[in-house]
Amino acid sequence: MKRRARNESRFDSRCKIILLILTVFTATQAPSLSFLCGLMLLIALFSLFCGKGKAACVNLLVFTALYAIRTLALQMRPGGLQTMILSWLSLMYQVYPCGFMAGIILSTTKINEFLTAMTKAHVSPQITIPMAVMLRYLPTIREDWHFIKDAMRMRSISPTLWGFLTKPALTVECLYTPLLISASRAADELTIAAVTRGVESPNRRSCLVQVHCTIRDYMAILIFATYFIAMKFGGTA
Amino acid sequence: MNQTKKGLSAKDLIVTGVFTALIFGCIMLGGGFFAAAPALTFYFPVGASLLAGPVYLLMIAKVKKFGPVTIAGVIMALFTFMTGMHPCMSLGYLAGGILADLTAMLGKHSSSKMNILSYIIFSLGNTGSYLAYFIAPESWVRFMLEGERATQDYVDLMSESANTFVLVTMLAGTVLVAALSAFVGSKLLKKQFEKAGIVK
Repeated sequence: MKRRARNESRFDSRCKIILLILTVFTATQAPSLSFLCGLMLLIALFSLFCGKGKAACVNLLVFTALYAIRTLALQMRPGGLQTMILSWLSLMYQVYPCGFMAGIILSTTKINEFLTAMTKAHVSPQITIPMAVMLRYLPTIREDWHFIKDAMRMRSISPTLWGFLTKPALTVECLYTPLLISASRAADELTIAAVTRGVESPNRRSCLVQVHCTIRDYMAILIFATYFIAMKFGGTA
Repeated sequence: MNQTKKGLSAKDLIVTGVFTALIFGCIMLGGGFFAAAPALTFYFPVGASLLAGPVYLLMIAKVKKFGPVTIAGVIMALFTFMTGMHPCMSLGYLAGGILADLTAMLGKHSSSKMNILSYIIFSLGNTGSYLAYFIAPESWVRFMLEGERATQDYVDLMSESANTFVLVTMLAGTVLVAALSAFVGSKLLKKQFEKAGIVK
């Protein structure tokens, strides 16, 4: 019973994707920075509801730091450096809320719930399966990368730009071969695991966790949509 | 399930997923630096095509069917859309993915020349939003300024460094770098993977 209660306090995957799309629209069409700050607060609230209070605090702090850097940069002597910093920041402002939202969604969504929700939303498995695998595999790449670097050092091949310049062929081989072999091994293993669990079954996908939209989901969508519309039509003034 | 009808098995889809993750990482690693700097932004496609060649070729060699490159293009398009890039960038990935997949199919997925050409086309998909700039600079600038995608200075600096020379360098550079990357990839494939039996 306790487990069920916890599951019900989660947001539905479809709802999360709609929220992400709304976030993207809001972030890309925000007429000024203050709207982005509001958006950040909204997302922080959402992550609080998802049980990610710490992430909310950290991200708000980082965003505030970015804001502070902007204020500092604006006081700098105008020139190439200022332009560089400001343009980099304006890219960050836009990407940051989206990335924050995506991060929360990724860390709170289990792959099985995601797939079930996507099947319910009639999205083709041709897209959802590679997508789910990709999201699962991205963190592994970083891990592999560290192992490969260690292994290269053991053979005294330097995994740096200098090493690449002095011995290009060897460095390229030593980087790509283990990376690609571990990738294709991982793919084979994941396939075996997935086929054993019935990915190819023609029957309808089932899931132990109840996946359905609740009033919370609709409320969250409503709040984000209202913010977007309010910004779009009332924010230009 | 409908995926067996269209020819892609669960295995192909999972291979596609893993390798798309790698291609995505390679593009971000190679091109990320260029994208943020206004004077260098036009060379993003050049940097982005540098690393992914071997990964791309191995993906084609492992699946050998129509589909994986298209799916990779669609996923890239979704990601660029989700992070609020120019919509033409997503369109570029879509078009690049589908065309590259068709090219690879022409060589029955095993001709190394056609696969290299296919990677070049896929890399040209990176140029989507920059091509849009050269076709209609005014509307592009308006779009970028509207949502504070870029500051006025960024756009000015970009416009200063943008001319026909840059366009030619960008396209030619992308083609050259992609060709080099794919060439190294095909050599690597022959030397390491065919012997090891990973690619038949």
